Amino acid sequence: MIIMSEKTKPEQAMAQSAEPTDQVPDWLGGRLRRMFSEVMDEPVPDEFKALLQKLEEKERGS
Amino acid sequence: MSQDRFLDQVTALLPALRAFGRSLCGDPARADDLVQDTVLKAWTNREQFQSGSNLKAWLFTILRNCYYSELRHRKFEVEDPDGVCAAQVAVSPDHDAKLHLRDLNRALQELPVDQREALILVCATGLSYEEAADVCQVAVGTIKSRIARARDRLVDLLGDDAARVGGPLAFSDVDSNELSQRSGTS
Repeated sequence: MIIMSEKTKPEQAMAQSAEPTDQVPDWLGGRLRRMFSEVMDEPVPDEFKALLQKLEEKERGS
Repeated sequence: MSQDRFLDQVTALLPALRAFGRSLCGDPARADDLVQDTVLKAWTNREQFQSGSNLKAWLFTILRNCYYSELRHRKFEVEDPDGVCAAQVAVSPDHDAKLHLRDLNRALQELPVDQREALILVCATGLSYEEAADVCQVAVGTIKSRIARARDRLVDLLGDDAARVGGPLAFSDVDSNELSQRSGTS
């Protein structure tokens, strides 16, 4: 049970109540997070930098 | 103006978007195409984004909408996510962990897409149930039941493998409460 004090931000309370491990077993949750973080750790390919740069130039030009 | 900051924030979220896209469709190249579409759509509709609200959830929503519309267009194409995943990992099956991830990737693709996205959003990306419900435009209870169904299916598909490959250690992670819940309600 979470008691919301004045200082508790709603998002923090939510994050606690939404603790994902109570729905999936740890081994599965761990694998899902690892799958995600492996991609997170990859360097972002150059094509994205080029795209973002193009958008930035577009923004300035208009 | 704050447009530069908008693009900066989008840039910072690119790794998360790529990871979300890849877990969703199981194919790195296709995922990156989805992320490109997402970035373009986000930029085009940037006026609609209310600054201060959750940009990550907003971008995830755009990405999953792109994915859904792509699925509708691909409906009659023959897909072979297994072939794609198998080909990638077959090059270096050096590690149990890699095999685990390949199997997980494969198993995820066997889930209905609504269950897959609910599971990924809450259990992999770390969004709250409420945020995931916003992204999928359904009620929180729906997200929970989709996750429960996805979990049951994945435990069926991967559970034996988790016990065998990981040995007793893999099972010591599962608390007894979870085990009794699973046998009681599934």
